[in-house]
Amino acid sequence: MPTFDLHTVQQVLAAACIGGLIGLDRTALGQFMISQPVVAGPLTGWLLGDLEAGLIIGGILELLWVMDLPIGTFVPADSTVTTVAATAIASIGGGGHAELAVVGLSLLMTVLMVPVTMFADHLMRQRNRQIPELALGKTGRPTERSVTVWHLAGLIAFFLKSFLLCLGIVPAGLVVLSWFPQAPESFHHAMILFVMLLPFLGAAAMVRRLSVSNRDRMLLIGFLIGVVCVQLLRLPVLAAVPFAAAGGWLGVRSRGA
Amino acid sequence: MQSLGFSFALIPVLRRLYPDREERSARMAEHMEYFNTQPYFASFVLGAAARREEDRATGRDPGADPAEVKKTLMAPLGALGDSFFWGAFKPLAGVVAVVALMAGAWWAPLLYLVLYNAVHIGLRATLVFAGYATGGDAVALMARYNFTRMARVCKALSLAIIGCMLGSVTAWDQGFMPFGPLPGILLGAAGLAAAMGMTVLLRAGASPVKLMLGLAALCLGLALGGII
Repeated sequence: MPTFDLHTVQQVLAAACIGGLIGLDRTALGQFMISQPVVAGPLTGWLLGDLEAGLIIGGILELLWVMDLPIGTFVPADSTVTTVAATAIASIGGGGHAELAVVGLSLLMTVLMVPVTMFADHLMRQRNRQIPELALGKTGRPTERSVTVWHLAGLIAFFLKSFLLCLGIVPAGLVVLSWFPQAPESFHHAMILFVMLLPFLGAAAMVRRLSVSNRDRMLLIGFLIGVVCVQLLRLPVLAAVPFAAAGGWLGVRSRGA
Repeated sequence: MQSLGFSFALIPVLRRLYPDREERSARMAEHMEYFNTQPYFASFVLGAAARREEDRATGRDPGADPAEVKKTLMAPLGALGDSFFWGAFKPLAGVVAVVALMAGAWWAPLLYLVLYNAVHIGLRATLVFAGYATGGDAVALMARYNFTRMARVCKALSLAIIGCMLGSVTAWDQGFMPFGPLPGILLGAAGLAAAMGMTVLLRAGASPVKLMLGLAALCLGLALGGII
């Protein structure tokens, strides 16, 4: 078992607070997309002292879940709690310089918890449906005060949901991570390969939702532009992106959209 | 769903239009009825409802019914907003930021926030005034912004940028760059093939979470088999 010294406990509490606050942006307050993995991961990593782990986790989970849409009654995976928890486990457990294998294990553990986060979201939404009735009160007439109080109570409930989930997942992850150094070397190699393959799964998850074709023309145009610009012309990746975007734009125009 | 937040947002308007506490409470009760739409496009409905409340309170149109405009607009604006923001623009901003991350840019999250919120906040503010000015005329809104076409363009750009990301695999940041004996172009082609293969599996009904777990099992199998 790992030693949960005062410093570790403080870091776990900080991670839970970060999760709670960032989680508010998900549906309850603002929706400025601070809760998206690509922002939440690096922000958590930076606050807990391992920006690199946050960047990797945030980038991978963004690709995987950006197309999980909260349409109708569908409750998507809570990518915010997953990202914050994975980054916190990697940052705290990795001592601020998490190896790629540690990042992989952190991702794997938090992804296993996705059904729990979805269930918590589901419960929260059910509870939210009752709030307007509470604001109406016995008289059936809301007051400015009752509307304001219950509106803010919703924010507190959303904060607590993410806070408590992080408070449960992060220490559990740290316990598992404490056994990782004793794991066989092959397990470490497996986790490194796992992290390296995840961006391809993320790309697949996006293609599946963005296009009806597995061999989408825009995807192939972008691929060719990437190959030519980066591998043949040796341009930086970021310099190739505008060319790919222009290729996509011309593709749309040629389709007559 | 969103009725409480809608009523909360309307409090300053109702306070100004209805000095009488009882009347204000009655108006607020009307806004507590079921309401659910895309949260950004709710701004348009908010502006429209404020206009109807004003028309009713000032006697300009005593029969104006804010509840009616809410009921009429929530479903179409929900569909439009979901398909544009959640289904097209958010993925585009996300994929641009992820490519920047893979290129080693630590400022990619800031790029994402600026790119997304410049459109999001700008449109949200504009929609309140558009809703108020038109009184909830959704046709005028569609004529001004062709969200369907913009969504199609955003999706095409996202796909092209994902393709570019896969094609530039050899230049990814060390945190993401796969290892292997394959030369650059072959590595890119292998990445594209892997992504296409996984797309087929996802279309066959596998969820990203299940595929992630399968991928972890595959990696473990390869490691235990001494292949990696």
